[in-house]
Amino acid sequence: MSAAKPVAMSIVMNEALENPEAEKAATADSDERLMLAFAGGSAEAFSELFSRYKQPVFGFFRRRVADPAQAEELTQETFLAVLRASLRYEPRALFRTYLYAVGFRILRAYRRKAAFRATLLGVAGAYREPAVRNATDIEVLLRQAMTKLERTDREILMLREFEQLSYAEIAELLNLPVNTVRSRLFRARAALRDLLLAPPPKALAPELAESEERV
Amino acid sequence: MNTTHPFAREEVMAFLDGEVSATDAQAISAHLEHCVECTSVAEQFRNTSQSLSRWSVSAVPAMLEQAVRDLADKTRLGVKTGKPGLFGRTSFWPRKQWAFGLGSAVATILIFGAVSTSNRKSVSQHYSVDFARVNAGQPSERVQVWSGPGGLDKLTNQPVSDQESKVFSNQILPPSPYSGKLPTGELGAAVGGGLPVNGRFGGFDKLVTQSSPGAVADSNGLFHGLGDHTQNSFTTNGQPGPMIARTVSLSVVVKDFAASRSSLNAILARHHGYSAQLNIATPENAPRSIQASLRVPATELSSALADLKTLGRVENESQSGEEVTQQHTDLVARLKISRETERRFRAILEQRTGNVVDVLQVEEGIARVRGDIERMEAEQIALEHRVDFTAVELQLNEEYKAQLNPAAPSVSIRVHNSLVAGYHNASETVLGILLFFAEYGLTLLLWLVILVLPAILVRRRYRKALATV
Repeated sequence: MSAAKPVAMSIVMNEALENPEAEKAATADSDERLMLAFAGGSAEAFSELFSRYKQPVFGFFRRRVADPAQAEELTQETFLAVLRASLRYEPRALFRTYLYAVGFRILRAYRRKAAFRATLLGVAGAYREPAVRNATDIEVLLRQAMTKLERTDREILMLREFEQLSYAEIAELLNLPVNTVRSRLFRARAALRDLLLAPPPKALAPELAESEERV
Repeated sequence: MNTTHPFAREEVMAFLDGEVSATDAQAISAHLEHCVECTSVAEQFRNTSQSLSRWSVSAVPAMLEQAVRDLADKTRLGVKTGKPGLFGRTSFWPRKQWAFGLGSAVATILIFGAVSTSNRKSVSQHYSVDFARVNAGQPSERVQVWSGPGGLDKLTNQPVSDQESKVFSNQILPPSPYSGKLPTGELGAAVGGGLPVNGRFGGFDKLVTQSSPGAVADSNGLFHGLGDHTQNSFTTNGQPGPMIARTVSLSVVVKDFAASRSSLNAILARHHGYSAQLNIATPENAPRSIQASLRVPATELSSALADLKTLGRVENESQSGEEVTQQHTDLVARLKISRETERRFRAILEQRTGNVVDVLQVEEGIARVRGDIERMEAEQIALEHRVDFTAVELQLNEEYKAQLNPAAPSVSIRVHNSLVAGYHNASETVLGILLFFAEYGLTLLLWLVILVLPAILVRRRYRKALATV
């Protein structure tokens, strides 16, 4: 079967669009080197980094924030934060992890602030997607299914599936043990599968229960 | 069937994610080759991922790309870049800091409250400590008995028989100015009632001398010989020499306190003096002292002083004298005139007869003059007493030797005392906290409800909003 190619699943998805440099991390032009080069004053280094990560970072926010304009803002803010902190950058972790950590901080701050505004001003936080858009049905379905997952489970699943981070990287980002990441990821995937195969939901109930036991 | 699988489904998932070790990967791969069930599980995972992968995202807008590249250039050139938008602040207080801030605020309020309560407590504690010390029978007594005017009988009847460390003060009636005042008051009343008062107050001197032996008898031998010298010592009566009211203050440090006290009594007896006031303080671990206000006949002053000085080392001595000759002469003259006036009034009353109004007027005049005479006589007596009896303010201090007390509290006792004090403090603190909550607990609870309920509502709304963002 396809078991001979274990990492196929990750690489298949979105490779062309979002993760063009996945295999390049260890090369001479690694992200970390580029970041250090930019800190040293090389404009090209940042340009290269930006072209590598603009799409993943934008995707990161676009999938987590309903409003596309906000996603753009947050993307810009993330790169600005990286720019500002470039002189203090130390390659202790992968640049990718660092970048997403910054992204997470900015996302959390945005969520807090938006929730705060919604609480105080009574503004409905939910962004109404325009009726006319080229969204496929599967996208709407996925978005809805994702919101039904437990928050951390959803985050782990998204980081794995879209950002294609390793378990260890996810664990570091979310401050969780690696084993927890694995079991939660398993649970999230099982739950998502059930959600996508929603009708009829009862048929899959025993299997779900089984998966819960293992968690 | 599941039990026959050497790998859990989670491990299959990890294998698909490339998150297992090489040996495990080989084993799982081999297992998948022939296990249909596990293969279908793997297929399910792949399908889920496949579905997710269809959630694609549009390309980064060119405007955003340009904006970031501009920012990069500015940053590289050292231009300070502003915030791009309202949202996305990175430095927002995390929840932990909020919790910490709120917690410390509450703690501050609690501590403040506890301190204010314990401050209030400390006053009563102070009292209780003093009380405890007295109860414990520590020999730090400082008892003072004062007698007011007219309080002589009461005082002298009081049992002042304790051997050590008792203080009593006295105002001897005969020579004191109060002795004159009291009868004057009575006189006024008597005159107002129109009663004949001559006989009664003619014997004023006698009244004085009569009462004094009583005082002497009752005062435990501290006051001596008053009866004797009131008869003998009015030396200034009719004497033309200068009248000087002397005051001596003497501070003596004695070695043997107990002995000096008895010799003080002996000196007083020998010189016909008495003590108007006597305070003895015997605190623990501090020098004992006697503070006495003595009255010594002026004629015996120098010898009495010499005797007093033998008690110990004189630390301080001062003498002062007030010349009262003029005052006395004046008084005597006025007294003489008043007596003359009184005599003439009486003559009028005896020789002349008139209507009732006239008689009453004359009697009124007599009463007035008589009152003046009494007052002046009392004044004269007081003045003469001041001249006859020199006031000696004596301060006897024990020469304090910080003695190496063989009965000094042992370590165990001190530890014990510290423990007791510590327990006391701890219980006071606990009590203070309890009192604080008893006093303000209900109010705090009320405020908590007032503040927390909206906070909970806001928090719930916030959570809800956060979930939808």
